[in-house]
Order: sequence, then structure tokens, then C-alpha cells
Amino acid sequence: MFHEYKKVIEEGDLVVAYATPESMSVIKVSSGEILNNRYGNFWHSKMIGLKFGSKIQSQTGTGFIHLLSPTPALWTQVVPHRTQILYLPDISFISLYLDLKPGKVVIESGTGSGSFSHSIARTVAPTGHLFTFEYHELRAQTAKQEFAQHNLTDVVTIEHRDVISNGFGRNNIADAVFLDLPAPWDAVAAAKQALRADTIGRICCFSPCIEQVQRTALALNEHGFTDIRMFECLAKNHEVRSVPLPNIDEAISGNKINFKAIANELKSKKRKMDIDTDQDILVSKPLDQVRGHTSYLTFAILAPTDN
Amino acid sequence: MDAMKVDPVVVRAGDHIVIRMPSTNSKIVCVKPNTTIGLGKFGSFQANALIGQPFGHTFEILKGGEIRPLEQKGFDDAELTSANNQNINDDPQSQKLTFAEIEELKAKGLAGDVTAQEIIGSLTENNQTFAQKTEYSKSKYIQRKQRKFMKSFVPLETTVYNLNDFFFEVNPGKIRGIRVDTLSQVMSLANVYSQARVLVVDDGQGLLVSALLSRIQDGLVFGVHEGDVPNYDILRYANLPLDMRDRLLTLPWTKLHHQMHPFTEVLPDNPSENDRNGFERRQRGHAKLAKSIDTLNGGEFDALVISTNYSPVSVINKLEPYLGGSRMLVVYDPCKEPLLEAYTMLRQSPAFINVQLTESWLREYQVLPNRTHPLMSTSGSGGFILSAIHLASS
Repeated sequence: MFHEYKKVIEEGDLVVAYATPESMSVIKVSSGEILNNRYGNFWHSKMIGLKFGSKIQSQTGTGFIHLLSPTPALWTQVVPHRTQILYLPDISFISLYLDLKPGKVVIESGTGSGSFSHSIARTVAPTGHLFTFEYHELRAQTAKQEFAQHNLTDVVTIEHRDVISNGFGRNNIADAVFLDLPAPWDAVAAAKQALRADTIGRICCFSPCIEQVQRTALALNEHGFTDIRMFECLAKNHEVRSVPLPNIDEAISGNKINFKAIANELKSKKRKMDIDTDQDILVSKPLDQVRGHTSYLTFAILAPTDN
Repeated sequence: MDAMKVDPVVVRAGDHIVIRMPSTNSKIVCVKPNTTIGLGKFGSFQANALIGQPFGHTFEILKGGEIRPLEQKGFDDAELTSANNQNINDDPQSQKLTFAEIEELKAKGLAGDVTAQEIIGSLTENNQTFAQKTEYSKSKYIQRKQRKFMKSFVPLETTVYNLNDFFFEVNPGKIRGIRVDTLSQVMSLANVYSQARVLVVDDGQGLLVSALLSRIQDGLVFGVHEGDVPNYDILRYANLPLDMRDRLLTLPWTKLHHQMHPFTEVLPDNPSENDRNGFERRQRGHAKLAKSIDTLNGGEFDALVISTNYSPVSVINKLEPYLGGSRMLVVYDPCKEPLLEAYTMLRQSPAFINVQLTESWLREYQVLPNRTHPLMSTSGSGGFILSAIHLASS
């Protein structure tokens, strides 16, 4: 399940059917059902009793997939995008900055597609709680169903609610508040009420535009939040490969080297060409296209308000 | 539902805390009763005055080491004016106070005889170009002086974030150069949760171990370490509750393949106090080692997290058998090169899928009305993470 691991797959378990990093889906194991994808047909009944992390052949034996435990990180990669979602670097940084850990009570608005919600639930469970609010009725319903399917209802309470107009309806309860709203500044007063009065409170506002940051920072300042700090956070994937790096003497002696062919051979790990292997080196570089911006993360703390 | 209370809400005697100073530098101090806590040019105060106080407020240091909460000033409301620096030249003469006079003011400030505001007031009054400065520039000047002369501080908890931030600033080598964003990604990728059993190699003096312990409640952190005893120095700043210490088991690398034999030593007849103590110590040591070895050999760990000075490939190969199926391997290194060989090895290994090598990137901004921009100076690198999903043995 999303906030704990199991060893062996049983009827009713959630399983990530993993083919490649780009091709995976979450299924609920139910004997009698068949998973069809481009790698073949896979009978659920044959998954039962296998360990998580096992490989399973398709019915025809031509393809295979791996059966993985669902985790918030994998869910972020497969979640149906009903909104712009949060990715692992932002999720991670915000969680650490807000000091999320088991036992903490967190407020999130909006729920959006629930990518971050799953991660928060995993981190604060089993003694903490996430209250998440979504003003879009259908999105709230869908997220509610997902949390139920993912056995997160003990840890997550979702409410269809416009927090800008109606606040969070809960006072003096949260260790941390996360606002991913078009106008987070309008929810800052409500956030202040929701934060615990007896201890330091932390807030993060997630906004893609710098103009939003400006207004949010002013609102935070006005409501007595301090230590207002803003970050951008990304992770760049690197690709690693072996490349030939022959000495120029090869060229001087007229030995023309087909770099492209060698690179291809190195890639396929089937080396046939007669080039000194000592001249291969491992190199890496960031992928040609990487995510350049997600959102600005504006953080602040609220000193205890009850003294 | 009542809010859970997982952390102390006030400064407790004997705890370590982070002190944020006006310069925005931080310091970690132990709040020992009946001591004086010194903050250098920002003054010193009585530890007793801070015990029982909540975190997050700004405290002003008064004469005699007393402290009192200071109303935090928010953003200044500097406005765009027509002033500019057309007629301001760099001129040390623009400050009419002499070096000696300023030093005297500082000394009086430290003794608590004049306030920081008064010092800054004299400095601006006697600065001949101050009036010509733009409002933004005036504000910046005053802020710069406040960072120097304010005698105030903010007590903060030694959260994992604050500890990482502090050591990254003052001694990055100690924590193998891991930056907060990178550590946070290690925690997410490793899927650490309350009941997780995590196998860890932490050659970064226990920051990783502290971070892992903070995210488990009923789980286990198992550290394999160099030498006879682990050097997890950073743990002592984390104020872990005593029962959390039981959630950490360790084993020296030298005992990785150790064959445990039953404890056969017997206490001699009429033992001396020394005999008895030695006997009991060896018995406890034996039991502890046996427990660690049993736990490791039980395998099926929920994550393998590595930050090591040794070859990552060699460490992965040694510990991979203890990692469960569909569980995460996460390796941190400040440099990319040690991870390249490991990446290639994992890609070729039938035991791992979804191998990823990432570099983390973080940028902080100054946010002020009409003056928002990235910080002029920032960390150049936060390190690299190699991660992969481990498969079940068939």
C-alpha cells in the first residue's frame, strides 16, 4: 500500500505494473481479471503469491512486466493529471522544510491531482494526519475515491471546500500548511488560524509566477509570518554512456575512426570494432530537454501566537 | 482531532538548539542550565532565561544577559524615489565618526549601554551621503548595519532541515557536501515511512542516519560503519527521545561475515567489582552484536541508502543481498564520477530496474517589495543521486 510495504502479493492489493519508466500503471489485483498492455496479457490470478518486485511473463511468453509495490514516488509518475502536479524535487524539499514526519498534522489546499497528498500521507502516517481541501467538486470526488482505493482514509481527510471564501474550518490544529492556489495570499489569514498556537508553525506557498510570490510575501508579512524565504528547486536527470576517446595519433596515422558506429556498439554492449578499449571513457551529461521551471516555493514561519 | 505533539514546543534544558543571529548566520548551542550562551558580537545571555521559551520568536538581549521577545519588524516600505547615485562617490570620508568613536559605540552596545538602534542612528546621521541615497539603498544600508549591531536572535529547533543547512554552511565536508534539497530527495526516493527498516551506510557523520530516524516511528535504521564504533556525531544535536535510540542498530564492516558463537565466558568465583563490570560489559556487547547480526541476516530491508567514501559499486554489491524486492536503492555522492561506474553496473544487473542519475539544483531568491531577485551568491553544487528499484530474488 502507499504508506507501507508488503512482501507478497495478495488478492485486492494495489500493484504497479512496470514495463519501463515511461510505461507503468497501477492495478488492483483481482483474480479473474487480465491486464492488457502492449507487452501482452497478464492474468491477475498468476500475480497472487508472487513477491513484490517479481517479474511476470505475458500469457504468450513474448513480453514481461515487473510487479512493484506502489509508492508515492511511483504514483507521481502515473497519476492522471487533472491539474498541474508536484514532482519529486519540490515534494521532497517542501516536506523537509516543513519538517514533515510521523505524527505531524498538515493542511493542503488544493488537493489537485493528489500527487503531493500521497507523499504527505506516507510521511506523517500512522499517527499524523493530512487535511486536504479542493474547491473543484469533481476533482475532490475523484481524489476521495483514490484515497479510499489506496487505503489512505485513516491518514487523509479530504473536503470539497473553497478555502478562500470559507477558511479551513479548523483552528489551532496544523503543524504545517501547504497552499497551492491561484491566489494563496487570500488564504494566508485562514492558514494562520489553522496553525497551532502553541508552537512554531510553517507554511509553504507554491506559485508558478513571480507576481504571485510578491503578493504572497506581502500577505505573509502582514499577518506576522517571519523568515520569509523563497526557493526554486529542480533535479536534472543525467544520461551515462561510454564513448571512445582515441588518441590523435590515430588520425595522424590516417586511421579514420567511425565514432558514431563505435558509440552505437558501446551502447549495445556488443563490441566488435578493433579499437583499444582503454580509450573508452564513461561520460554523463544532463538530458537535452529538462524541466526548467515548476513553481516558486515561498516559505515562512509563524512564531507561537498564544503568548 | 487533537493536534499531535511530536516535538517539544519549548526550549528544554540540555537540548541542542539552533540560534539564528542578526547576521543570518546560525549557531548550534546546548542549553545547559546555569550557563551563559555567548553569541560573539551579538552579545551573550543566560541559558536559564531561554529554557521554557517557545521557538520562533525573536529575542532581544538586554543588559545583564536577560532576554525579552522583540516585536519582529516586517518588510520596510521603501518606495521608488527620484534619488540616484549620480553624485555619490566612494569616499571613506563620508562617515564623519572616526574609527575610534565607532569602536567605542560598539563597546557600549555590547555592554548594553546603548541600543543597536542608537548606534545605527549615529552612523546614518554622521554619514554625509546617506540622505542622497535612494530609499532602497537607505534600507539596504540600515539592514546591513542591523545585521552587524542588533543584539537579538531567534531560537529554532534542530530539525533535519536546520541541521543540514547549518553543517552545509559551516562544514560541508563533515556531511559529504549534501545539500538540503538533495537530502530531501534521498528521503523521498528511499520511500522512508514510519515502519520502514532501512539499511544505511553513512560516512557523513550521521546526518543521513538522523534524517532517517526522524522519519521512522516503529521502524529500524541499521547502519554499517567503518571502525569499531560509528561516527554519527550529528545524532547528538537531533535531541532524539531515548526510545528512538533503540531504533538504531549498527554493525562494523569488520563483522559483516562474522560467525556468532554462544557467549561462554563465566564469572569467576568471588568476582571483584571490576570482574563483574567487565563481565557484564562483554555480555552486553555480545548480545548487541548478536542482535545486529541476526537483524542483518534477516535481510528484506525496505531501503538501502548509501553515502560512502568507498567505491559505491563495492558497497552495493556487499549489501544488495539484504535489500528486499521492490525496494529502493539510493546512493548519494558529492561527485558524479563514483556514481557513473555504479550506474553502468546497475543498468547491466538483472537485480535492478529504473536506474536514474540526477543532479539537484536549488536557487534562493531575495523577496522584497520591488526588489525580488536570485541571491547574488549561492552554492554551486548540492551533489548527485543514483537510485534504482531492487527486484525480488527469484
